[in-house]
Amino acid sequence: MTTPPGALAGITIIEIAERPAGENTGKLLADFGAEVIKVERPGGSPTRRMGPFRNGESTVFAYFNTNKKSVVLDLENPRDRAALDRLLARADALIDDHDEVWGAAHGLTADAVAAAHPHIVHCIITPFGQGAPAEWQKARPINVINAGGWAYHSPSEMPDEKPPLKGAGRFLPDYESAIDATTCLLASLHRQRKTGAGQFIDISEVEVQLNRIDCVLDRMLAGEAEPSNERTAYDMGGPGTSFACKDGHIYIFMTTRNHWNGLRKLMGDPAWARAFREDWLEFDCTRDNVAAFRRQFSDWIAQQDKMPITEAAQKLGVAMVPVSTAADLPRHEQLAHRGFFQQGEHPAFGTVAYPTVSYRMSASPVRITGPAPALGADDSEVERA
Amino acid sequence: MPLPQRGGPLAGVRVLEITKVWAGPYAGKILAHLGAEVIKVESRSNIDEMRAYGGVDMNAAPYFLSINQEILSVQVNMKTEEGLDLVKQMVAQSDIVIDNIRPGAMERSTLGYEDLRKIRPDIIQVSIKMWGNEGPLGYQTGYAPCFASLSGLTALVGHEGETPKGMNIRYGDSTAGAAAALAAIAALHHRERTGEGQFVDLSAVETMTSLVGDSLFAYSVTGEVPESDGNYHPDMAPHGAYPCAGTDWISIAVADDTEWQALCEAMGADALAADPGFATPALRVANRRALDAQLAGLTAGQDAAGLADRLRKAGVPAFKSMSSIDLCSDEYLWNRQGFRMVDHPHNGPRPIIGPSWRMTPDMARVERGAPALGEHNDYVYREILGLPQERLDDLIARKVID
Repeated sequence: MTTPPGALAGITIIEIAERPAGENTGKLLADFGAEVIKVERPGGSPTRRMGPFRNGESTVFAYFNTNKKSVVLDLENPRDRAALDRLLARADALIDDHDEVWGAAHGLTADAVAAAHPHIVHCIITPFGQGAPAEWQKARPINVINAGGWAYHSPSEMPDEKPPLKGAGRFLPDYESAIDATTCLLASLHRQRKTGAGQFIDISEVEVQLNRIDCVLDRMLAGEAEPSNERTAYDMGGPGTSFACKDGHIYIFMTTRNHWNGLRKLMGDPAWARAFREDWLEFDCTRDNVAAFRRQFSDWIAQQDKMPITEAAQKLGVAMVPVSTAADLPRHEQLAHRGFFQQGEHPAFGTVAYPTVSYRMSASPVRITGPAPALGADDSEVERA
Repeated sequence: MPLPQRGGPLAGVRVLEITKVWAGPYAGKILAHLGAEVIKVESRSNIDEMRAYGGVDMNAAPYFLSINQEILSVQVNMKTEEGLDLVKQMVAQSDIVIDNIRPGAMERSTLGYEDLRKIRPDIIQVSIKMWGNEGPLGYQTGYAPCFASLSGLTALVGHEGETPKGMNIRYGDSTAGAAAALAAIAALHHRERTGEGQFVDLSAVETMTSLVGDSLFAYSVTGEVPESDGNYHPDMAPHGAYPCAGTDWISIAVADDTEWQALCEAMGADALAADPGFATPALRVANRRALDAQLAGLTAGQDAAGLADRLRKAGVPAFKSMSSIDLCSDEYLWNRQGFRMVDHPHNGPRPIIGPSWRMTPDMARVERGAPALGEHNDYVYREILGLPQERLDDLIARKVID
């Protein structure tokens, strides 16, 4: 089967990034059919050493580097550094996620790249953006999500004595930063099509974190809501949270009397529910009522299975959903319908299911056309350059 | 009156927004902050809830002002035939149409993709829905914490051994909007290359799912179901948040022996440095509970920002866990224009959360606050659609423009 050329067919991107933030940016662009040439140090990208492993290969590297090419260059070595310049001379964009000290040491600062390759769109992703104190830029994802405020406020309703959390998996801030970096690269490449000129893009991972909470945090900046050291400062109140059920967990969100009436019906209108006003969610949603509701509800929901009860809830207009696990998703009917997981062959793993992207594009669909490359698999690209 | 040129990489791109609340407007904001001309279609009879929360003046509503900077507002009542016709005239003059209204609503208003491409064959339509626009569950709507739960993300966020509570309840909408903006620009590239428009069907649930892609992929390879794991990291210890003075916390992540020794020295923890149970990275991960408890004993009572500063200077990645008051008063963020001011003729100056990027040269200017309802009626109807003033007056009088 031939794959139609993607939205970025004909565009060449050089990736010297070595963290998931930059690697996922390259992946999202490679998804659209750009030729992404990943420059790896001798021994390979640090993500090749991140587990889980299978047959000696990293699943992390295999996920973040699909559809890419790999060339090995030792950027400490002047000959290899010159080879990078030759690659850049025929490329359209450069993705980096090192700090400024590294950039200066390798002649890869914003100014140096703009002077040598004025046509290049050059994006650097760093924890705090260009110009931050050097020691701040050595930050790991857990430091970024704490510096950006989401950790302090996650999960909702945490008491002071529970530690703030890093988010899902190891790389949540990297994924978020990659979205903004990709968006900016796409926008700037659009400008490059019109003008032939490059641009420098400075992404601050912490500022991505801040931007995602604009309608809560900005009201505090503007003095319309009270900023504080409360762990609950981003919360909405109300009874919505997750609960343990018989075979896993469910999440329920309720704000209206329709939600409440639907839930009462779902539960068979137990006597305890009649103690609540019909409009309690709108007009009597006190801390005590929320606590009383949760006490009773958790006993009932603990006896239910997550799929049948949430399906019945949806039919009654109750916003109760399963807390899906990794095992639930590949067989989920809606994700299957949309082809979210794409089957592929990996040389070390065999048949695998790649999670893809949330945008289905009718004319230029995203495709995984090749597994993450073997180290140096495309070294001949350097000679071609 | 033509609008001031703001520059930026998307200058010259026009976007029509038929959106409400957060995800759709956030997509519009990202595009506007990159220089696109983004026009929000609004109506007094079908107002964006964000203009209503708090029961305040809809032109000075905090939630609305916090998102919609550099957006233009045009009023039109889409429930009238004439109003719909005007929207279609706007579509004919636009590159991208974004919506996040209820599944099927665009189609019922004859604004589905098949309708729009008849008006403008190369139109790009980006539609944001909880589950996407079709499929067995395409009819469902939901709230951000629901789609985070459905996505597989919530299951991975929680303290070890407890019910996974997920990210803060506010998490999800803005990220879905950001993904929509990304896809919209990708579609512009396809159009530049081929002349062809397209329909972009975005699922908010899948946006969340794609943020845990490596965990799901690892499951596909190993068969091991990942679970919520607190602040656990398979290769780093200490790796977590540790208590400081008052209600403060500090995040610390140590990857190797050099950082470990630096941490112990900076904390004056000779016993810890010499403890054979913590001598190697593998031992520190294996004994992380004991390690976390000992480290928490040392951080307790310390000033979080001061300690983090000392640790960073010693080469240990560390940062205070920032509360909302910490963020709002952070000098670095203000100096770097992470927070910046915009202005508005009616509402005056207002601080906003700035874009997460800087561009050199040709950064789009972000200077103007969110629009008053219908603030750009004249621009849209007179300049873009070329209607005579009498026609505009008549449409207003008959509440087609309301």
